[in-house]
Amino acid sequence: MIPLHVEQVAYTYPNGVVALQNISFSIAPGESIALIGQNGAGKTTLARQLNGLLQPTQGRVLIGDLDTRQHTVAKLAAQVGYVFQHPEHQIFKRTVRDELAFGPRNLGYPADRATALVTQALRLTELTEFAEDHPHDLLPALRKRVTLASVLAMDTPILVLDEPTTGQDARGIQVIGAIIDNLRAAGRTVITISHDIDFCADHCHRLIVLGGGRVLLDGPAEEVFGRPEVLEQTAVELPQLARLTARLGLPLAWQPEALLDALEARQHQQGQQ
Amino acid sequence: MISLYQPRDSPIHRLHPLTKLTLSFGLIAVALGAPVDWAPLLLYVAVLVPLSYVAQVPGPFLSTSWRLLLPFAISLFLIQSFFFPEGTQILARLGPLTVKAEGVRFAFASTVRILLITGALLLTLLTTHPGLLMTGLVQKGFPPPLAYVVVTTLQIVPQMRERARTIIDAQRARGLETQGSLLVRMRALGPLVGPLVLGALLDVEERTLALEARAFSATSAKTSLYDLRDPAAERIARWAVVLGIAGLIAWRLLEALQ
Repeated sequence: MIPLHVEQVAYTYPNGVVALQNISFSIAPGESIALIGQNGAGKTTLARQLNGLLQPTQGRVLIGDLDTRQHTVAKLAAQVGYVFQHPEHQIFKRTVRDELAFGPRNLGYPADRATALVTQALRLTELTEFAEDHPHDLLPALRKRVTLASVLAMDTPILVLDEPTTGQDARGIQVIGAIIDNLRAAGRTVITISHDIDFCADHCHRLIVLGGGRVLLDGPAEEVFGRPEVLEQTAVELPQLARLTARLGLPLAWQPEALLDALEARQHQQGQQ
Repeated sequence: MISLYQPRDSPIHRLHPLTKLTLSFGLIAVALGAPVDWAPLLLYVAVLVPLSYVAQVPGPFLSTSWRLLLPFAISLFLIQSFFFPEGTQILARLGPLTVKAEGVRFAFASTVRILLITGALLLTLLTTHPGLLMTGLVQKGFPPPLAYVVVTTLQIVPQMRERARTIIDAQRARGLETQGSLLVRMRALGPLVGPLVLGALLDVEERTLALEARAFSATSAKTSLYDLRDPAAERIARWAVVLGIAGLIAWRLLEALQ
């Protein structure tokens, strides 16, 4: 497992749009990070720096000791898996199984390892029964899970998920959440770009809030959610339960158990009075 | 909207879209009807390039038109120089292959024609907002579905380019090598072309449904949000060009019959 370092990264698009300014942070192996912020905050631009799809105009990104400026995306793909937002941008094989095998084959994994990884990715994403189906015959939500599975099958130490929950039903969100939790437990790094703040709060232990191409906040959920005035600047809303606790004047909580604990504590307090 | 349009304040931009389209077709007709091979090149250099400066789009005009031309030019010169069927005048020998003068001449004539055709239409697209082009066509009596087809066809290049870029990124992120030897690049074509074509087809289906859902095929008169001026001088110029094209075709037909 390898760390990731973003060092004073700035990026300006060829048309002159400044997307990132002086961004620095490090991610240790096994961290689950959420990149959040309003549209145009620089989330996707930053994520694309992490596997070399974009090269910083200033600063550098290190994947372990690999400088992304000195390696091709194909080489970096063995370290950083990137799940794109739209399945139609990558799916081209005739069966789900073949689609999943595309990445491991490109990386030159031995056949038995590639087969095992594909089988495992199918199981994790609950796609085993669709393995021999044409990916375009699947429902859009399942097709999106094919793209996630196709990157899981590459067995990379770092994964970037771009809006993984878009178009997913409750079961799909649960499956993706469980995958992130399991990856983290296995020491892999997961970076999730999402507008689904509840999902991020549940599955990411560290949130990086971007606004105007800069890091506005970087810390655990309780620290980030404790700064609503900064979140407001970048149009990020607190999770529903956190907003409810704020309205009820309870200590900040965004998980049902924590909310129940806070309510019980208040009842207890009131009983004593 | 992804398009080639470059917003500027120039006399070319202010022309009615149909005027620009008609002038483009007029120029193409002159070039194709001219009896000399180099006429399209002359018209490109003497008319289109100066006009691109007037329109303040010389950079995008020159770079895009040459980038569009290059693959055609290379394949035309390679194939026609070596395999022109009626060639007798041999310019050079490369092992069993011979470069024939007639083939080179044919390749040159075809290349400069493509240069002029793409250049004329490109200048129109660079200086015309797609919405104005659609409005212009509909106001002149084009059925809206047909006008839509024309406009989207003309926009297909930048849209496909944008989509191709994203697909290349997605496949490179899965370890596909897209740079290197010709063999490596050839191998990368399948994973790129598949999603490009499938995506485009799916797009057509979705777009059709979205258009229908918003009453695109309604027969009532449509409201235009664009104020499109069509001065008398431009209308006269358009008719003159149309008559000119018709005359040119008639002249060439008569010439061929004699």
